[in-house]
Amino acid sequence: MSSLRKALHGLDWSGWLGAGIVGLIVLAAIFAPLIAPYDPLALNIEDRLAAPDMRHWLGTDQGGRDILSRILFGARASLFVGIGAVLIGGLIGVSAGVFAAYKGGLGEQIVMRIVDGVASIPLLVWAIAIVGILGVGPMPLGPLLLPNEVKIVALVGCLFSPVFARVTYAVAKRIAGADYVRARFLQGASHWQIVIGDVLPNCLSPIIVQGTLLVAIGIVIEASISFVGLGVQPPQPSWGTMLSDARSAIYSGEWWLPVFPGLAISLTVIGFNLLGDAVRDLFDPRSEARTLVA
Amino acid sequence: MTGPVLSLRGVSKSFSQGGLLDRLRRRDNRLVALHDVSLDVMRGDVVGIVGESGSGKSTLAGLAVGLAQPTSGEVLLDGQSITELMRDHAGPWRRRVQMVFQDSSSALNPRKSVARCLGETLALRGVPKPQRESEIVDLLTLVGLGREIGPRLPHELSGGQRQRIGLARALAMKPEVLIADEPVSALDVSLQAQVINLLSRLTRELGLTLLFISHDLALVRTLCSRIVVMRKGAIVEQGPCLDVLDRPQHPYTQALIAAVPKGLAGRRTPLPVRADVATPKTREDIHGAA
Amino acid sequence: MSPALLSVEGLRVGFRSADGGVVEAVRGVDFCVAPGEAVGIVGESGSGKSLSMLAVMRLLGAPARVTGGRVVFDGEDLLAADEKRMRALRGRDIAMVFQDPQSSLNPALTIGRQITDVVRAHRGVSTGEARRIAAESLERVGIRDAGRRLASYPHEFSGGMRQRALIAMAIACRPRLLIADEPTTALDVTVQAQIVDLIAELRRELGLAVVFISHNLQLVAEIVDRVVVMYGGKVVEDGPVEAIERAPRHPYTSLLKACVPSLSGPVGPLTAIEGAPPRLGRLPAGCPFSPRCPDAIEPCASQMPALVTEAGHRTACWRPR
Repeated sequence: MSSLRKALHGLDWSGWLGAGIVGLIVLAAIFAPLIAPYDPLALNIEDRLAAPDMRHWLGTDQGGRDILSRILFGARASLFVGIGAVLIGGLIGVSAGVFAAYKGGLGEQIVMRIVDGVASIPLLVWAIAIVGILGVGPMPLGPLLLPNEVKIVALVGCLFSPVFARVTYAVAKRIAGADYVRARFLQGASHWQIVIGDVLPNCLSPIIVQGTLLVAIGIVIEASISFVGLGVQPPQPSWGTMLSDARSAIYSGEWWLPVFPGLAISLTVIGFNLLGDAVRDLFDPRSEARTLVA
Repeated sequence: MTGPVLSLRGVSKSFSQGGLLDRLRRRDNRLVALHDVSLDVMRGDVVGIVGESGSGKSTLAGLAVGLAQPTSGEVLLDGQSITELMRDHAGPWRRRVQMVFQDSSSALNPRKSVARCLGETLALRGVPKPQRESEIVDLLTLVGLGREIGPRLPHELSGGQRQRIGLARALAMKPEVLIADEPVSALDVSLQAQVINLLSRLTRELGLTLLFISHDLALVRTLCSRIVVMRKGAIVEQGPCLDVLDRPQHPYTQALIAAVPKGLAGRRTPLPVRADVATPKTREDIHGAA
Repeated sequence: MSPALLSVEGLRVGFRSADGGVVEAVRGVDFCVAPGEAVGIVGESGSGKSLSMLAVMRLLGAPARVTGGRVVFDGEDLLAADEKRMRALRGRDIAMVFQDPQSSLNPALTIGRQITDVVRAHRGVSTGEARRIAAESLERVGIRDAGRRLASYPHEFSGGMRQRALIAMAIACRPRLLIADEPTTALDVTVQAQIVDLIAELRRELGLAVVFISHNLQLVAEIVDRVVVMYGGKVVEDGPVEAIERAPRHPYTSLLKACVPSLSGPVGPLTAIEGAPPRLGRLPAGCPFSPRCPDAIEPCASQMPALVTEAGHRTACWRPR
């Protein structure tokens, strides 16, 4: 824990701001049922399209549902997709990257060419194309029926994996050639011991940085596919569907419908980006390669 | 009658270059690093392997220690083929040949303390946990370091200390053959002597067979009993160290010896008439004579 | 005694450390280079030898900066000169060759282009004339078929040829002083010998003053007239090359000589210098070598001895040998 304290100590003001925003949003998502003033799904026709006031701080939508409550619950969908996709993508991508770097030879060539191929088309285009093909709603997978959200998380996670694979490969390639890895090999350490004990720990910092930045991108992807109606399905609240529902309100003057979900998305993305940049600076004061994603 | 502990029989090694497409088209550009090298190393020998960049001396080290396999020919450890032995990756043969690396900053895992690095090595040799701590202290003492070094991370050590830890790690496996690939060339001059003296003492005390790979003929002369001169992947001359260095037969060996800086004795420019006043224009040209 | 071409007086270079303080790496260095003289600066890593010369060229990058002293070149204070004046001097009057020929050349431009650029910038000649000078310089440094080689890219040259090309670039504008910072460390021994010969030859023919920075006393002694030995950011000894080689006075110099084995004489254990080179910011108040010195006596660690001159040989030691 002392290393965590040291890490927090090293954050600059923008890092603190990022950590603060992310922390607030995570808390909001966890405690949404406790702090939300209304049921996010409860329709109330009398109160429809109410402007922000003391009862509904952020107003209501066409169905009279409280926008603040829907944003709080929507944070769950966003974070679930963002963080879940990063975990899945990290698991697949880091394994593939380490495998390619450590194994070398034909395996390396094949894995990295696949990665390059996937990465040559923007993530969002992939996401919309694949959801379009798979269709919306739960997906049967053998004996299991994957719920819609899980399906989206798995999809975005798979799309993230090449990004992780590339970042991991670049570092792991250097480390796999280091003399301390050779020395472990000569001692008869198993490949598993070498990868877990020597290669991976020295690759972690760029992976963590990449993961933090990708959460933000995952949130945008979730919002985007929900916006076009392929993601989280109504009436479940999601920032993307809320924006989509708000399209008709843009010209009729109910500004609170699009503005608040939009702000929520922007704030979250900014928060994770600031945090990611700060974490990178912490790990590497020289901050060499600023990897561009998406 | 015992045979050589390490021997190379007509060993060649080439590396393929080029990417996936070249490989699929079977259009390999192969880079030959070693070509038909044969060498016998007897138990207790201290052999210096000398050459410049591209001579194949580091490739030879990698083959001798079982990091890579020869493209053709055989590397034998006590008469057994290393290619065969390598099928048992973690076999007991592993500990018999160990290596010390050139760059001490890349030779140690930056996230592992000295004690952990040595402890993991001892664990792989099968030393039970309770004995490891005292063995670590013994190893540190052996390479002239104190036990207070144990908790330190590599970046908290000086270059000379890191190189000693690299040596201790190799010795932790209780090897019979030690291969040192340019172990002092990254060190300051004043530290080189420390490490060379340490290597010399340890080979004697532990009865090690040492392959000392270097480009520095003078260091090889100090440390080694035999010398092998390599050029472009082949051995051009070998023999007892002092014999070869005093009476080099091959022109390349002669050129290497001529190239060693010799201070005033190697001076090709005349000394100034008065040292504190330089008068270069009045100087005679003795360049042709040198 | 002829007036010095380059004189460095009380030069200090410091780094801003993490805790806001200043750590000095060069701590009051004095030495001179006469016109046409070759001076070797010898020291190990952390001795401040390269930093001193970068400071002379005003090439120090952040966080290092000059914190004191004067650098006078041909009567002009370089530390007071503006950047425009320095640009004019660098390459024309003072040229520098670095350790790594690979990173000193632009891989995207031909060798010829890189030399002619320097020539045109400093000598104001036509492109054709610049090419002629470039070809002449390449030939001068022993690159055969120089005219055609101008069209080559750095990757087509071997390490030794790249270093030759850099030396050609350095001498193309007929400088009066050539600073060579470990020019042979990255090269093979046989190539090293050729480059050292080349520098000695150019110096003789062009009447060039040379500052040769190296960690290898034996190498330096083959070509220089005078050796300046540095340790822990200070000059500890400075004398004629024969004196330094045959009768060094500072214990560090004599140990440095002793710990490098030679190719002749009896074989035995090497003389080692115990301990580790000094770390910045952890230097004793007195002689920086005192913690490792076998001859150290009471005042050594607490008081820095002055550089005492005796027959053109300066030594900073309480107990010179």
